[in-house]
Amino acid sequence: MRVIRLAALPTVASASLLTGGCASHDFSIRSLPAETPAAYNAAAIKEFQAMQALGATPASAASQTTVGPPLTPADVPSMQTYDPWERMNRFTYRFNARFDEAILRPAADQYRRLPGPVRTGIHNFFSNLSEVVSVLNYAAQLRPAPGARGLGRFVINSTLGIGGLLDVATQLHIPGAPTGFGATLARWGMHPGPYFVMPILGPSTLRDGCGFLADFGTDYAINLVNLYRGTAGWVLTPLDGVDVRANVSFRYYSTGSPFEYDTVRFLYVRRTLMEDDALRMWHRSSQGAAQTPAGQ
Amino acid sequence: MRIIRSLAALLTLTHLLAAHAGAEPATGLADSAALRATVYGTPPQDIAPLPAVVPLDEIDIALPWARPLPAVLWFDRRLRVWFSAQSKPAPLAILISGTGDDGNTAKLALLRATLYGAGYHVLTLPSPTNPGFIAAASSTGVAGDLMQDSHDLYAAAHEIIAHLPARVRITDVDVLGYSLGGAQAAVLKSIDSVEHRLRIHRAVMINPPVSLFAAMNRLDELFALSVGPGEEGIDRLYRRLYVRLANFYRANDQVRIEDTNLLAAAGAVLRTDADFSAAIALTFRIELTNMFYAGDLYAGTGVVSDPRRPPRPGDSTDEVVRRLLVKPFSEYFDRVFVPYYLAHRPGSTRTSLIAESRLDIIADALRTNPDYYAQTNADDLILDRAELDWLRSTLNGRIAVYDHGGHLGNLGDRQQIADMLDMLAGRWAEAGK
Repeated sequence: MRVIRLAALPTVASASLLTGGCASHDFSIRSLPAETPAAYNAAAIKEFQAMQALGATPASAASQTTVGPPLTPADVPSMQTYDPWERMNRFTYRFNARFDEAILRPAADQYRRLPGPVRTGIHNFFSNLSEVVSVLNYAAQLRPAPGARGLGRFVINSTLGIGGLLDVATQLHIPGAPTGFGATLARWGMHPGPYFVMPILGPSTLRDGCGFLADFGTDYAINLVNLYRGTAGWVLTPLDGVDVRANVSFRYYSTGSPFEYDTVRFLYVRRTLMEDDALRMWHRSSQGAAQTPAGQ
Repeated sequence: MRIIRSLAALLTLTHLLAAHAGAEPATGLADSAALRATVYGTPPQDIAPLPAVVPLDEIDIALPWARPLPAVLWFDRRLRVWFSAQSKPAPLAILISGTGDDGNTAKLALLRATLYGAGYHVLTLPSPTNPGFIAAASSTGVAGDLMQDSHDLYAAAHEIIAHLPARVRITDVDVLGYSLGGAQAAVLKSIDSVEHRLRIHRAVMINPPVSLFAAMNRLDELFALSVGPGEEGIDRLYRRLYVRLANFYRANDQVRIEDTNLLAAAGAVLRTDADFSAAIALTFRIELTNMFYAGDLYAGTGVVSDPRRPPRPGDSTDEVVRRLLVKPFSEYFDRVFVPYYLAHRPGSTRTSLIAESRLDIIADALRTNPDYYAQTNADDLILDRAELDWLRSTLNGRIAVYDHGGHLGNLGDRQQIADMLDMLAGRWAEAGK
């Protein structure tokens, strides 16, 4: 199983810690991947200009039309989050923070020292594999258009993109839109349920946690080109985990705040509810409901 | 893992998001452009030239004078700072963060890049009001006293520099800070003029407050005007924000809020001056909840946590957050800060503590020593006219005042960086500015 194979990460991490720096009980200095401010700012300029070219300035974003009638303040869910397993969740959150600090993040730091094109290739490879589950889920959601786009992406990237190492489809203006079984359950009306912190993987809800396991089981059952079972899995699963971690800038307790658990829970659940709401609206409008401008 | 992919972006978004129940006009505390600049910062195309690569080390240090660590702050045992070393002998720039911030914010990263590019070793430190600093490096646990916090910061900086690897050769030491960190940078230099342990040469304050107490009250006022009182104010704000963001999601057919469309998402949520005011006030209030919680815990005042039953890591903090979000700075000051200092500093009064939160405490040094500099904006919301005039006259012209930028809204732009580097090199006055 992929989750179990994440246990292979400690090996990677031990190597990272050995090469990463020196430490004592009272003082430690650890070398991080170098920052690249010039490239970072150049990318920010490009994005800024692209947004301006599209006319998508912050001001115009406010005047976009919504699918279906606009939401009103009365429809907004309470600020409180349903978290009946809070004590256990907080325990898991602490475990995750420690695991991330000791193992996952050092491994990701080492990974980020690889040349950019190599990392992009690895990232594309795993993204391409995830298209299979996305296509199946779009089918289960009865959403043929994004499903067909996903299938097209998979075929193009697996062939022209040399087994998924290159993301040719995005260059051909077919952007990726990953989905999963959690979204499929949401599409058919299932509520997210209680907040649930998954070991290692982090914040989730009962529904999305089950969705993750189902997607994972699907990958395992299909076992595309024998990548998910046998020896290959022991290498690929941790690599996938490290690649994902290396692309997430979040760091546990980086602000030192005693209320981080609350903040993460609040934001995660609100985002889930907004995504569910948008999905429901899309579903209604695709069944013929009229589109209404988003007047406030 | 995909499920945590965009959390980072969302966490960043909390610093941008807020809204108001009505579409009122400007609060009157600052103009539109200043509010927008404060929230959005310098546009990327106006940023000063940056180096291609900046090496970065992360340093964790346990400090002997730290108070016993409360169980709920288990992750803050050691002070965390960041260091970028030049490969050859070079001057060291010590950078101090603003209110509540850690030692690796985007603002610090920007300043670090420009300073490293100009040939400095760069050490970035958290604000003494950051919970990580309060737990690991504060000798009191109660943040907010300009001199005491700066003493802790000075001692921490000295300890860190003493532990740096021998290959790092330092030729000179300068200190800079933004916002509250700016005021602390100047106080750090004045402490050094007595203790001589760091041999600080020049200090540059970027958008500093003149009176900590007045600046904090001004932000409370901004909160009261733009969010409103009590839990109803917060709830109204939350609903307004939620509606706008949810409608943004609907309009974009399930876009994910990632770094790339953060600006568009923020634009969908923040529209009026009142929205921008609320965003700024809320950001500050969130920082204050951390400081309030830690201060109450260390001082044992019982305003938030019962000192006889200290909170444990598994305990829910829902109720605590709800209560703290509606508490202004004045409540922290009167119920935690003042009682603590009256008990620990004989002869103090509430009035004397307010007076000691002003840069006046080092006015003589600012006036007579040519190595103190400042940069600020004419429309900075944490200063009033009298305070700006005080800075101008006290620094005898060693201050650059830009017309626009609000509070830190021009940090990193070409002019600000060029002036900052000139000030640090001691050639600012010669440049005829």
